Amino acid sequence: MKINSMKSSRFLLFSILSLSGLPAQPIPNAQTIHETGQQYREGNPLTGAADNLAIGSQAMFEANLKAKKNIVDMKPNTFLSLWNNPGFAVQFEKFLSAPAETSEDAKLYRQRIDRIMELLAPGNATKEHQDEAFDLLPLASQFESDANNCTTIHDAVYAAANARVEVQKLTELDRDLENQLKSAEYNYVHSAESLTLSREAVSKTEESNNDKNQNELLHATIDPAKDQVAALKATIQRNQQQIASTSLQAKLALQSLILQLFVQRRYQHVIIIDRFYRALFDDGDQSLQEFEQMADRLGYNKAAGQVKIIADANPKGAVASGSQNGGPNNGVGASAGAGTGGAGASVGNGYYNNNVGGDASALSGSGLNLGIENLSVESLENAFSTGMKGASRTFKSLSQLDAFANEIIRDVNEGVKVYQFLLEKSELESASSQLAAVFTKGEYLPSVRLLSVDEKRKTLAYAQLCNRLVNAANSGNIDALAEVTTQMKAMNPSFDDAEIRAKLESVKTASSLYVAQAKVAAARGDLPSVQTQITRAASLWPNNPELQDFSQHMTQLSDKASPQVQAVNDFTQLYGQKNFRQIWDDKEKYIAAISQSPDNQGKLKDVLSRMQDIETSIMRSQEIARRGDYAGAWEGLEVAFNKYPDDLKLTQLRAEYTTQSPDFVHDLRAAQSYEEKKEYGSALAWYLRSQKRYPMSDLAKEGIQRVVKLITSDAS
Amino acid sequence: MSRQKKSKGLPPWLITLLFLIVAGAAYFSLHQNFGDSSMRTVEALDPDLYYNEANSLRGNTYKIHVQIDSSLGDSPTRGRLFSVLLDSSDPARGAEILPILVPPELGSLTIQKGQNYLMKVQVVENGLLKVREAVKP
Repeated sequence: MKINSMKSSRFLLFSILSLSGLPAQPIPNAQTIHETGQQYREGNPLTGAADNLAIGSQAMFEANLKAKKNIVDMKPNTFLSLWNNPGFAVQFEKFLSAPAETSEDAKLYRQRIDRIMELLAPGNATKEHQDEAFDLLPLASQFESDANNCTTIHDAVYAAANARVEVQKLTELDRDLENQLKSAEYNYVHSAESLTLSREAVSKTEESNNDKNQNELLHATIDPAKDQVAALKATIQRNQQQIASTSLQAKLALQSLILQLFVQRRYQHVIIIDRFYRALFDDGDQSLQEFEQMADRLGYNKAAGQVKIIADANPKGAVASGSQNGGPNNGVGASAGAGTGGAGASVGNGYYNNNVGGDASALSGSGLNLGIENLSVESLENAFSTGMKGASRTFKSLSQLDAFANEIIRDVNEGVKVYQFLLEKSELESASSQLAAVFTKGEYLPSVRLLSVDEKRKTLAYAQLCNRLVNAANSGNIDALAEVTTQMKAMNPSFDDAEIRAKLESVKTASSLYVAQAKVAAARGDLPSVQTQITRAASLWPNNPELQDFSQHMTQLSDKASPQVQAVNDFTQLYGQKNFRQIWDDKEKYIAAISQSPDNQGKLKDVLSRMQDIETSIMRSQEIARRGDYAGAWEGLEVAFNKYPDDLKLTQLRAEYTTQSPDFVHDLRAAQSYEEKKEYGSALAWYLRSQKRYPMSDLAKEGIQRVVKLITSDAS
Repeated sequence: MSRQKKSKGLPPWLITLLFLIVAGAAYFSLHQNFGDSSMRTVEALDPDLYYNEANSLRGNTYKIHVQIDSSLGDSPTRGRLFSVLLDSSDPARGAEILPILVPPELGSLTIQKGQNYLMKVQVVENGLLKVREAVKP
């Protein structure tokens, strides 16, 4: 392990030298590098994806730069904060894309709703108007935008009216029963008073028998009347209980519907049904206390389907009575409520009108099946349930509800006007916030529905940008976030992007710092730390250019671990630098490596041919020089130099021989210089002079021939 | 009779001798001045100057006393090109070698290797030495 560590250190030291811009030095031991590369690839314990993920998460906490979360959480303005709620964002975007409800159908629907409200307005709700409004409800419900709410109101009012009729019948029945009860009680008393029994006692035994007979006669005479009284009382009590429960059921059904519509923000419908309620139940009781109790029991119903509030107040089996003749205050009433399909079972004990005997009754509140049906999204169900509970606690009477609904309608209408004004003034952020608030409060109100697409289009574009901003922040794509922020700022100059910009810069800086730490770790030869820091940097800013550069360097270094790949890379680099001498010096290595690289085989062949030529010239010149013929040696190199002027060894040796035969070289260069200047007479003189100095000179000979030809040419 | 013999002057043999001496001196002097009256006033070519500054000598005429080295080329229109050896002023350097062009006008001139010539040459374009006159010394 220690040896491996040392090798690793050496490898990383080399990598850092490369990264720091220093020229790559030849690797002394290719096998060692190869081994190190293998270790880097296989032996690192932190190469698993899970480890990387853990490191990335840890980085977010360690750096305290949870930028993604921070950006999402921050509230640069109201509008943006609204978009943090995906459910709202989707609904609001749908609203902004929808055309204005200006069709004839929509207009007719609004007229009918207005007519209903007018008919039920306080002071105008006569019996005839109520009937007319009631008849208009199914007609208003024909329109899609009503979502059948008017039909629901119609059915609920109809059911409540029926309950009232039933209550009236029971009340009349009770009145008849009470009359009968009075007659029975009178008969019972009269029988008791008119009964006279003789007492003829002959003996003690006869006296005893006589008493028995008297008792039998007493019971035979009085008991029928007494039983009749008891039966009538029980019947009256049951009727009274039924009246109470029927009335309660009807009230609760309407109240729950009112609150349901309120939570749904159907404020016009709230006012309509509230006015029906007042017309139906004119006893002055508008308390919502019973409903509050029900709302507290509101549970979740996860059945899929339409959203609907279940408000079944039919207490099936909830009323029961018990009878015991044990005397006053000993009545035990047992009752049990079990609504079919509904929750609730209770036992109620209590005393009820037990003036005589031990009769007791209990009225169970159970059997009230209140819940939400047909809601497929649990979160929405919870929200609705919470809304119902909140509304029941907020409003203590229907009057409050009615007033609040009217206030909201007014507020929404005013908000729409404010939105249009702000839009006209190009204050987009404020306008969008205003529209979002208006939409939240009164999505279904006519003033909101009548906003045209043109009026909503700018807000739509701004909303989409906000949506993209949130998504970009969630995705953690710093570059995308910066781009969207720029677009938002361009569209809405008042958009406060300072915080986002600051966080973006912080994240970028942090990512760069991690890259720097990775480099430092690499310098120390600490491979796990390198990977840790790089993973941290990537988790913060995946597109960090420094990260990509570092990765490329690491990849190259990793490749260098293979001698063959390294040799090919070296060859490519040396060939690009025209350092053919270096290739020649290590030709054995490159020949072996390039054999597996067809692309470079042609280049290597050219290099070897070239260097062979140069080396031959050098060897020949050196041989000539050994004989003392430095001019000849120089000339041999000069020919090769003209062909390969960039070979260092050739250049150096040529310079050395130049100093050994300076006159010849001088004369020849002078000749060449004059030849280049087309002063052929002088050039010929210098060529002749150099040839005279070194008669074996090929260069001089060729120069003479060349210049003579030019001079004697007819064309010249 | 004896007085008349003393007044006769220089003897004839002496006069003949003096005449021969003067004639020989004149002949020698003539040949010492290249034997040609047209080259008598022409400046001799400095080889070093020619090698290094031929361009500045363009148009000038010089006389050279050379030995034919070799024939370099021949052109019907341009003439014949020879290399010639010129005695150097520095004996250590030996003879200088120069190219000369014998134009077609001097086609009748027979030139062979090793022959000595007294030539009047002109530095023409490209620094070439063009022969204007040539006589054997």
